[in-house]
Amino acid sequence: MKRGELGAFLRMAAAEIPPARGLVPLLALLTLWQLLAPGPSAYFPAPFEWWSAAVLLWGSGQLLPAFAATVTTFLEGLVLAVTIGVALGITIGTSRPVERALGPLLEFMRAIPPPVTVPIATLLLGYDVTMELTVVALSAIWPILLNTSSAAAHVEPLLRDVARTFRLSTARWIRQVVIPAVVPSILLGIRVAIPLAIVVTLLVEMLTSLPGIGALMIQSQRNFQSAQVYALLVVVGLFGFIVNDLFAIVEAIVLRRWPARGVFRSG
Amino acid sequence: MTARRFSGRLWWRPNIAGLLTMAACGLAWELTIQAGIFDYQYLPAPSAIIQGVGELATSGELAAATMHTLESVFLGWAIAVAAGVSLGLLLGFSPLLRRYSLATIEVLRPMPAIAFVPVALLLFGFSIQTELMVIVLPSLWPVLINTMGGVMGVHARLGEVGRTFRLSRAAMLYKVFLPAATPTILVGMRISLTLAVVLAVLAEMVGNPEGLGYGVVSQQQALRPDLMFVYVVVIGLLGLALNALLIGVVSVSFPAAAAELKGYRP
Amino acid sequence: MSVAGGETTGRQEHDFVFSCRSVSLKLPYQGGNRWILQDISLDIRRGELLTIVGPSGTGKTSLIRVLGGLTSCTSGSVRINGEEIAGPPEGVIIVFQDYSHALLQWRTVFLNVALGIEGRIAASELRIRVIDALRLVGLEKNADDYPWQLSGGMQQRVQIARALAVRPAVLLMDEPFAALDAMTKASLQDELLRVKQETGCSIVFITHDIEEAVYLGDRIAVINGAPGRIERTFDVTLPKPRDQILTRQLTEFLKFRYAVHQAIGGIIR
Repeated sequence: MKRGELGAFLRMAAAEIPPARGLVPLLALLTLWQLLAPGPSAYFPAPFEWWSAAVLLWGSGQLLPAFAATVTTFLEGLVLAVTIGVALGITIGTSRPVERALGPLLEFMRAIPPPVTVPIATLLLGYDVTMELTVVALSAIWPILLNTSSAAAHVEPLLRDVARTFRLSTARWIRQVVIPAVVPSILLGIRVAIPLAIVVTLLVEMLTSLPGIGALMIQSQRNFQSAQVYALLVVVGLFGFIVNDLFAIVEAIVLRRWPARGVFRSG
Repeated sequence: MTARRFSGRLWWRPNIAGLLTMAACGLAWELTIQAGIFDYQYLPAPSAIIQGVGELATSGELAAATMHTLESVFLGWAIAVAAGVSLGLLLGFSPLLRRYSLATIEVLRPMPAIAFVPVALLLFGFSIQTELMVIVLPSLWPVLINTMGGVMGVHARLGEVGRTFRLSRAAMLYKVFLPAATPTILVGMRISLTLAVVLAVLAEMVGNPEGLGYGVVSQQQALRPDLMFVYVVVIGLLGLALNALLIGVVSVSFPAAAAELKGYRP
Repeated sequence: MSVAGGETTGRQEHDFVFSCRSVSLKLPYQGGNRWILQDISLDIRRGELLTIVGPSGTGKTSLIRVLGGLTSCTSGSVRINGEEIAGPPEGVIIVFQDYSHALLQWRTVFLNVALGIEGRIAASELRIRVIDALRLVGLEKNADDYPWQLSGGMQQRVQIARALAVRPAVLLMDEPFAALDAMTKASLQDELLRVKQETGCSIVFITHDIEEAVYLGDRIAVINGAPGRIERTFDVTLPKPRDQILTRQLTEFLKFRYAVHQAIGGIIR
């Protein structure tokens, strides 16, 4: 990206951030909470307590490894899902007979909610990191695969005529027309897949107690360490927020060649 | 199922290839297990799964679990829709309120639903409230955002039409804005419903030990894969059935909006 | 004004760079088949601009697709330099009406124009050809822009440049200016005439605009009826270079306009 472009881009991104005063309800809630229930409590520990608990977790060397484990699983699973999902999606989408044959099967598998795949995978693959990775990838792959194949199958029909009038080979057709044309859909699929991957990662950790934030949360809950539970909730929330926004920025950078769109979109 | 415009008397051609593929897969699955080629201890044959249905149905477990999940889904979804539509309307009509809440929504929305499970367990223990806490908040967002967007997206021209005819504020809301925004709101409700099913199952898997979600996990731990798959299939069917039901109800009460709803694929 | 029905006789085969003989086309339609084109014979000479004009529903777009090798005719043949075509022939490029969907919106103007020649000629030669093509349509300054940043008229010029970069013998244009406003249309018409003058390529130009057909054409073929057939062909003997104001005021122009109108079916019956 040229220097001028970067500046313009950042300005556009900054203009899209909702006004900071929008945080008033959240801050008001937290302040009220802190004032009404100032101390430790089994059910409603004050926000300052969450902070202390978080600091404690960090100091005791529990927080970082758990966080690292969760992030690693999430990223590896996502990368796997993207690679396989895009490759399969393009293969399926560009071949009409294949798309028709596999269509109902894919719809059927899509109807199974991702969390449900976790016990299935646990049973079939056991309690280890391979299973964890498989499950995360398997859950995240659907939006990517379906979006990609649908976009590949529905490339602007006029472009097919254009490719034929210029007598482009099939390889060039796929490489230079189909793939760029489906990039926006791929990115949309990834955007949907990210929260799925996070949820499934945490779910696996909660069900199997494999190392990670999820395991830590369940453990805290079982030990009635309520402040810790809330602290970890905030950690997870921040993680989700940051990952989503980082991806929105990546998406906007990749799509800067496409007709104008914003950086952050709600919904 | 693809429809081709000029391809013969049957303008809607059933996807033979697709159905055959599915049937072939099912058959292959069954045969490989029976023949013992694939001796995967925990992968049951389709026939075993069908038998499992009988087993669970007769014991009444399946019905009880399904009713429980349905109850959570409906309650959670209803609350989410009520809250989402009201808040969405408020925010849609008031730029001031929007300025003072959008950032909060942007921060809270990406929160993974599952992170609420430990908190919910802490507050409510093993009860349906735990499930509801997990279901309601994430299901609220699609409805809220779509309602807000739907209202804001009502074309300026329609507003001007209302003013030309000097409609009262209430009449504008009732006769112009709500009907115009209805299709978008309904799409939000549909997304929310699908989400509610997933969240209910999720909450039952790690939170409240009741319902279909718990059924899956408990059968997995009891090493009964055949019964586990029964629950999996029922969950899938439940999602599809509820979706179809929603479309059906909408088609009857809001025929114009139904078209857009059917076109949407979550 | 000379009026000729069907093909012009007395010309040698090799004068025609592109021709179709007795082309008929049948397409599937609502359970059966429907004849779209009936016994179309056309000859396009080197460097001539043939306009094909007719009302909608007469199969004009189908004719372009057959000529361009995108659709196979049911009977008859299409030949380029004497050889029958099978699929899109080399040296024949179609310019589509829907420019925004015909361009690759994610590529710069430069890369869009390069689509037909990249990987087929050396990089240095490619650069020269692309710049030449852009110069021909007056867009050399927009090489690094994206199509969606340009106006409709400019995007259509990009599409024309893309076709020109291939140095085609024949340009097939399917109502290319129909989606543009009157002023843009007029300026693009003149630009097209200039391009033809400079490159010497033949152009088959489909339109439903009678005035455009008369203004642009060296010859006009009137297509009419369902299935579509060539009603008449005219040699347009208006002076060149054409001028948007002056040419259109000539009595000859009005006579041609009237004749074409009559051939189509006219208001006065």
